[in-house]
Amino acid sequence: MRIERRITLNADRDAVWTVLKDPNDYPSLLPHLQRWEPVTAGPPGVGSRYTVMWEIGGIPVGGVIEVLEFDTARDLAWISITGVTQRGRFRLRDAGPGRTTVTFRLAYHSDGGLLGLIADRVAARQVGRSLSQSLKNLRRLVER
Amino acid sequence: MTGVSDILDWARQKVAAQVPKADLDQRDPDYIRDQLPGLWLLASLYFRADVRGLDRIPADGPVLLVGNHSGGNVPPDTFVFTLAFCSYFGVERPFYQLVHNLVALYPALRWLPKFGTVAASPDNARLALESGAAVLVYPGGDYEVCRPSWQRHVVDLGGRKGFVQLARETAVPIVPVASVGGQETALFLGRGQWLARLLMLDKVLRLKSLPISVALPWGLNVTDWLGHIPLPAKIVIEVQEPIEANGDDQTVYEKVVASLQAGVDRLAAERHYPVIG
Repeated sequence: MRIERRITLNADRDAVWTVLKDPNDYPSLLPHLQRWEPVTAGPPGVGSRYTVMWEIGGIPVGGVIEVLEFDTARDLAWISITGVTQRGRFRLRDAGPGRTTVTFRLAYHSDGGLLGLIADRVAARQVGRSLSQSLKNLRRLVER
Repeated sequence: MTGVSDILDWARQKVAAQVPKADLDQRDPDYIRDQLPGLWLLASLYFRADVRGLDRIPADGPVLLVGNHSGGNVPPDTFVFTLAFCSYFGVERPFYQLVHNLVALYPALRWLPKFGTVAASPDNARLALESGAAVLVYPGGDYEVCRPSWQRHVVDLGGRKGFVQLARETAVPIVPVASVGGQETALFLGRGQWLARLLMLDKVLRLKSLPISVALPWGLNVTDWLGHIPLPAKIVIEVQEPIEANGDDQTVYEKVVASLQAGVDRLAAERHYPVIG
């Protein structure tokens, strides 16, 4: 299941990156986040790992993720190491002078065959709302 | 001459011999991972489950999770908490659940060991804790799950304090797990202890109760041995603060019961209607 939401902000890419570059600040950005704890020490970058749990349907869902791409003011992407299989990405692109389009993608896949497919589909609405709210929170943080 | 007590002893030994010693290697993380989506659907859509306070459980090492138990022979609190624990800490963290001996022997539930379910006995619990695992136990067991529905918010472990000694001997913290909603999945009318005594099941099978309930699809349901279709009651679970097993058995037992009852009272106060939540 792949879900994508997009928003154009009145801020340049560096300003947006200032907020996105530190995953330790994500608890204030991502709604329904129940747990976000660094697993590895040191500044965020490729190879940094975090334990991440979203509350989906009243049950925590997530696992350990690892940052795969950390391309300044362009892309920040991660992949799950444990738990539900997922790939996530923040993609920053110019949208004119002083404006940035941010794309937030989350692709996920549950094990368990048909029931896994149904669970993915059922969770999609809440995941979509969560992504949209994340981008609204990002707007609030960068355009204040 | 062979007396009734000899026959009962013989029957008890026969049943006890059937109770399997825990084989911790039967737990299969990949199998659990495959089942989580189905359980998540059942928990989220049917029981509208809400699990809180998992961060109060020590992040690693052995821990004894002690819960109040509800729902007759189909207790939704067990599978909802197991789902939440495995999702939160990952299927990689060893986690075992103790169940009544008869559940462990039930042919239709032979897949339970893959989930980490083992027959409830002090030896099995000690084995799991000493291996470094988290262990979920319901001391009230068959006694508590059969309480009448109008006592659904009463924690009653039946004075069973064995878990305190177990925690002390293995030097692990006790984490109370309070839940509400399970006793609304059917209309439980009583424990039927008189019936269990009359049939001597308390002596032979360690069954203190033969519950009487009104449940789907049976209507009047005596024993609940075949289970029932639970009503879609909202299940809410809240993990409480850890308690060290310091002090005598009675003191620690009362602390755990008080913690569970406080949690249940808090969750019950949030409920507006039975079943709906």
